[in-house]
Amino acid sequence: MTVIFGMTWREMLRKRVVLLTLLLTLAFLVAFWFIAQTIGSAGSIAGLDPNGGEALMERFARGAFLLTLGYFFGAFVVAFLSIFSSFSAIAGEAEQGVLQAMLPRPVPRWQWYLGRWLGYVTMGVLYAFLLYVAILGITQWHASVPRDAVSLAEAFLLFAMPVPILAAVSMLGSGFLSALGNGVFMTMLYGAGWLGGMIEKLGGQMPLGAVVLAPLSKISGLIALVMPVDGLQGKMLAVLFDYGSLGSLMPVGANPMNQFAFGQVPSASFVVYAGIYGLAALGLGLWRFERKDL
Amino acid sequence: MSEAAIVADGLTKQFGNGRGCRDVTIAVEAGEAFGFLGPNGAGKSTFVKMMVGLVMPTSGKGTLLGQPIGSLPSKRLIGYLPELYRYQEWLTGEEVVRLHARLCGVDRQAADRRVPRLLEDVGIGLRGRDRVKHYSKGMQQRLGLACALVGDPPIVFLDEPSSALDPIGRMEVRRLLERLKAQGKTVFLNSHLLEDVEAVCDRIALMNDGRILRHGRVADVLQQRLRWRFKVGGFSDAALGWLREESGLPVGIPPDAGSDRDGAVWLEADLANEEQAGWLNALIVEQGLTLYEAGPRSERLESWFANAVAGLNHRGERE
Repeated sequence: MTVIFGMTWREMLRKRVVLLTLLLTLAFLVAFWFIAQTIGSAGSIAGLDPNGGEALMERFARGAFLLTLGYFFGAFVVAFLSIFSSFSAIAGEAEQGVLQAMLPRPVPRWQWYLGRWLGYVTMGVLYAFLLYVAILGITQWHASVPRDAVSLAEAFLLFAMPVPILAAVSMLGSGFLSALGNGVFMTMLYGAGWLGGMIEKLGGQMPLGAVVLAPLSKISGLIALVMPVDGLQGKMLAVLFDYGSLGSLMPVGANPMNQFAFGQVPSASFVVYAGIYGLAALGLGLWRFERKDL
Repeated sequence: MSEAAIVADGLTKQFGNGRGCRDVTIAVEAGEAFGFLGPNGAGKSTFVKMMVGLVMPTSGKGTLLGQPIGSLPSKRLIGYLPELYRYQEWLTGEEVVRLHARLCGVDRQAADRRVPRLLEDVGIGLRGRDRVKHYSKGMQQRLGLACALVGDPPIVFLDEPSSALDPIGRMEVRRLLERLKAQGKTVFLNSHLLEDVEAVCDRIALMNDGRILRHGRVADVLQQRLRWRFKVGGFSDAALGWLREESGLPVGIPPDAGSDRDGAVWLEADLANEEQAGWLNALIVEQGLTLYEAGPRSERLESWFANAVAGLNHRGERE
């Protein structure tokens, strides 16, 4: 398995996937730096006592907005990196003929599968960590938002959790669909999850009656069950800002200007569900791969 | 009798579209070179894929040196060059072979000795330092041969090993196959290049429409029919009829032989022995025809193949 794991990493490095991703991320971070500088500058909080409570609240709100913006982008990049690094893992290599030369080797198929998955996951999680720290650092520099280490660690785990889930689903799809078909399928699936999240966020902020909100909530809930990744991002922000205790002090989640906020905070059970969802996808993918004719 | 290296017992794979192979039973002795022939779409590659663990059989069983096919112990015994091959184009040729060596459990020191030599043997040499993406199809096929052999396996499955090679490359591969055979390896050769099969293999099997149609020793197959040709002058249709009647032999005019400028005609007959040839000679002379030339024409595997599948449905052509 270590050979396959190492091969996956080497593939990412040689194909310059990592380099390209890092360069584009750097470009984003530079842009984000200036955005953060503009929004978070103390001088823009006009008319408020810099040491007063209102200014503190305003600074926190701006920092929260910046972090939400940064992680909104970050979640996208991490998700797409996870999907596009793994969507052709089986179908693509089988179509090319690479697998036909590799699998007759004395390596159990489950080891090959897990080696590939672990390769994609470690790379994605490492990238997620770097991005997470960079966004946090930039926001901290320009608009300090007080947080504790436990929240930060928990939020990071939630931020990185889509990586193993998406890689598992993407590899599962690759066992059934062609490389191109799976790429389209995964993009649509992730997009559906994102749409479900947006329906809930925007629906909660619009002046809609309970008659409208109830079915909307049901639809977004069903979509979140099909693709739970967007819900994890919402949970991550909730943990990062400690919305539970903050909600009584300021309207962080209901700012009509903030489309990156969310309506309901996903429960801990939802996170457990997402974990089981990922494990089920991994297990099903393994089962499929063990029986696949090549 | 030596141990059977490759055994298939009623091995069947049926795909949803009706393709695959059915009830294949063969045994290849250790150290033997076995040629597997058949038209396109006959099911040859499916059979090989079952033997190397890429395709799960629908029914039947198979073993490689006593180990069930698809099992890890059986995979330790084989080298395989697939028909459809591509190698990681982001690696160099040498890195690909080293990757396969690691997957085979070859330690680093052994790989250091073996990989450069193998690259030399298959004609890649120093181009092993180039990325695979710069390789031609023929170079990739050579690379595939090196990968198949890097674990020093006792059994080698080669699915069309020289289909992408130029004539010199084909000759090199044929020599390589002969060396493998001389080393005592069991070679299972799936090929349309019948000259290679004829030169290297001890036994052959012919598959058509997913079933084994014929099998036997190459030497026996080639001697099954002794075909003689006679160049005669003064020929007439009446003379041909008389020859057939008198000799009781299937004398005819071969379709590929027209008459010479001097009016001479080639006659052909499948004979059981040389006595029949002598008898036919005597009858030709007795009939007043001029006999210019007479001699046996040994059948090539190509014509054996063509005769064997003549008139049969070929799935590869039916699509």
